[in-house]
This record gives sequence, C-alpha cells and structure tokens, in this order.
Amino acid sequence: MSLIECRNLSKHFGDTRVLSDIELDVETGEVVVIVGPSGSGKSTLLRCLNALEPLSGGTLTVGGKQLGARGTSKRELRQETGMVFQQFNLFPHMTARENVMLGPRKVRRQSRRAAGELADRLMERVGLADRSHHYPSELSGGQQQRVAIARALAVNPRVMLFDEPTSALDPELRGEVLQVMKSLAAEGMTMLIVTHEMRFAADVASRLIFMDEGRILHDGDPRTLFEQPPSERFQDFLRHVQS
Amino acid sequence: MDFRWQVVWNALPQMVDGAQLTAQITLLGIGGGLVIGTLCGLITAFRVPVLHWLVFAYVSVVRGTPIVVQAMFIYFALPMALDIALSGFVAASLCLAMNAGAYITEIVRGAVQSIDKGLTDAGLALGMSYPQVLASVVGPLAFRRTIPPLGNQFIISLKDSALFLVIGVAELAQRGEQLTAQTGRALEIWTAVAVFYLIMTFSLAMVMRLIERRMRIL
Ligand SMILES: Nc1ncnc2c1ncn2[C@@H]1O[C@H](COP(=O)(O)OP(=O)(O)OP(=O)(O)O)[C@@H](O)[C@H]1O
Ligand SMILES: [Mg+2]
Repeated sequence: MSLIECRNLSKHFGDTRVLSDIELDVETGEVVVIVGPSGSGKSTLLRCLNALEPLSGGTLTVGGKQLGARGTSKRELRQETGMVFQQFNLFPHMTARENVMLGPRKVRRQSRRAAGELADRLMERVGLADRSHHYPSELSGGQQQRVAIARALAVNPRVMLFDEPTSALDPELRGEVLQVMKSLAAEGMTMLIVTHEMRFAADVASRLIFMDEGRILHDGDPRTLFEQPPSERFQDFLRHVQS
Repeated sequence: MDFRWQVVWNALPQMVDGAQLTAQITLLGIGGGLVIGTLCGLITAFRVPVLHWLVFAYVSVVRGTPIVVQAMFIYFALPMALDIALSGFVAASLCLAMNAGAYITEIVRGAVQSIDKGLTDAGLALGMSYPQVLASVVGPLAFRRTIPPLGNQFIISLKDSALFLVIGVAELAQRGEQLTAQTGRALEIWTAVAVFYLIMTFSLAMVMRLIERRMRIL
C-alpha cells in the first residue's frame, strides 16, 4: 500500500472544476515536485491531500487512513501530513519556539518540557537555534519559512507538503529554505513540493508531475521529462518559467 | 463675570455622588455589553444558523435608533408592555449594556474576521482541532485586536450615560442640571461637571493604553 493514494479524486468550487480524475500514488521516501501553470490546481491538490478542502469526489488515503471512512477524522489524516505555506503563516503572537511547540503540545499531548526540547532540536535542524525566542515579525522571510518547516515537522508527519515555499521570498533568501528542504529529502522524508524552482526540481525531485487545467498531464522521471518534454503544453510551460 | 469657587466647593459632595453613579452605570453597561457583544460577535463571525439573523436584527435596531429613544423605551415602554417595574438605575444599566453590546458585537466580529485564514489553515494542518485553533490562535489574536476599538467604545458609553438624565437617574449630568437649578450658577456647575467627565474618560483611556502596551497588538 502506498503512503498516499488518490483514486479518481475531483474537486470543484461551485461550477468551476478545479481538479478532475486525479490518480496519484506516492511511496514513502519519494520527493515529488509538482509544476504547472497558474490556476492549474496545484495548491488545491495539496489542500485536498491535507483535508483542508473537502473532496468533491473520489477517495484519498494517507498512511492507510482513508478520508471519510468510518472512524477516521480529518484531524487524523492531517496528523500524517505536514504543510508549509507560501505565506509562512506563522502564529504572530508566539515566538519561533512556541510556534514549533504548539503542535506537539496540542496534537501529541506532550509536556511543555518535552515539546520545548523537541522545538530546540528542530530549530537547530533548520539552523535557527539562536532565533528561538524571536517573534515572527523579528525574522526575515527565509527564517520565518524555516521556522514554519520546523513547526510542520514537529508533529512528526509521514509526508511533508510544500506549496511554493520560496515564492514569497526575495531571491537571495530562497537558498536557505531550499537547503533545508534538500537536507530533508536527503534524510528520506517523503515530500510533495509545488514550486517554480526548476533547478531545484531537477536537483532533488525523484519524480515530476505536470498539472494542467486540473489534471495530471505528465508524471515521471524529472530528467526525462525536462530533456524530452512529451507535450506542447509542457514545452510552453518550460519556456515560460525559464524566461 | 467672576468664577465662584465656593459654588463648586459646595456642590462637590453631590457631584461626587453623581460621578459614582455614572461610574457604576458605565461599569455595568460595559460589563454587560462585553458579555453580550462577545457572544453575539462570535455568533455573527461564525454565522451560527438562525441566531446570526437575530443578532443582525438586534444590532440593526440599536444602531438605527438614538440611544435616548432606547432609554425611553426601556424605562417607560418596556415596563408597561411587560407589566414590571424598573428602577432608573436598572433601566440605565440595561440600556447601556444593550447599546454597548451591539457595538461590541461589531468590534468582536470584525476582529475575528480580520484574522488571516492562513493561520487557521496552519493550525488545522498541524492536526489541531478547530476549537483548539480558536483557543490558541484565532482567539488570542482577535482579542488583542479588540482592545483599541473597545477603549473607544468604553469612552463613548461613559459619555452616553449622561443622557440618562432624561429618565431621572441621578448620575453626574443630572446632578449638574439640578445643581444649576438650585444655585443659578451654570458656569461653575457645568465646568465642574465637564472636568469630572474628563477625569473619568481620561482614566479609562489611560487604563486601555496600558493594556494595549502590555499586549502586543498584531
Ligand atoms: N476557495 C476557492 N473558491 C473558488 N475557486 C477557487 C478557490 N480556490 C481556488 N479556486 C480556483 O481553482 C483554480 C485552481 O487554483 P489553485 O490555487 O489550486 O491553482 P494553482 O495551480 O495553485 O495556481 P498558482 O500557481 O497561481 O498558485 C483557480 O482557477 C482558482 O481560481
Ligand atoms: Mg497555488
């Protein structure tokens, strides 16, 4: 059984079809990069995988837990996935450390002390041990995003979802975030990453998905896809992002 | 024209009494208003079925009528309709609570709705329950945002309490009117009354400023 299984997943907002016939299996340890034009449904797909958006049709299973099946709550599904957002979405009234501690405290019912120690380890891991007691407003965008990664890791998810984690960052701050993501990949973390960073995709992706108009158009080995784009749509897209 | 300090001096005990009553009515009014407004604000912010329509009607009525009319209604019309007796003090406190409650409803609703949805998503994505997200993230942030507009509303309520002189409550403004009639010295009496109000509103503003500074508004 795969870690993530989507069967015939679809999503529409009112009359707008946003996702159609999504068939997707992700195995443990895969690093899947999702690319596609604006509005193609990349964010919506990630939000569906995290049960932040209710599905309109089809089924979704994460870590053997099926969404909507008896006895499985959205909450349980979300505990299997960590999410990193384009806009960081750090809790502004908490220090970086408190941000990281909140999940373990509330979700894993850890003691303040255990959660604190975990937060310290994770802050170290994203290279921000010395920024633990800063509030988000006192951190650069790149630092905030690294804290957000630590926060998502803190509940010990089996898969990490990244929605354009570097798009809101100045170019010179992107590297530090990508570096953290690279090291996660190297440690074997399962990741789904929506990004426009093609160099990064070619570098770390074990699998590339191209989405267009709510469908998965291509799904395969990144190098092969980049070298021999199988469709005109994908060629156009690549030309667009590279210019 | 000369300013007779003696008039002020003689009127002082009664003014202090009046100011005390004003303070009591205001405290009850904003206390009750906070309870009503928090409840109703949450009802509208989360669009609780049916109830949010009732709250909408309540807020519309209060915002759409002058507070003098509300006071008259609660003091004269309501007891007649329900066949009960209300003291001026109770009617005044009730009226102020209802009035402040409607405005505080809007303040609370606005504060809750102003909190970025992305933060709720982030909390939920961690696997927290919605009530947990409300308690740890949305609540504390929204609470901070209510402080400045609440301070404003408290001061408005305090000043609004002056109009309860129309229902004969012996608060500060009503004392002013009485003392003017007794002494014929409008200048001294109303100057003193104004100073009393200023001291009270200023203290209130200082308290709110202190709370604001204690808490980082984000
Ligand atoms: N809450 C919503 N209500 C209605 N329509 C929505 C909603 N969220 C997304 N959409 C629509 O769904 C489509 C896909 O949006 P989505 O954000 O998933 O695209 P995307 O691939 O992430 O694009 P981008 O690269 O710009 O982030 C868009 O047409 C968008 O307008
Ligand atoms: Mg998107």
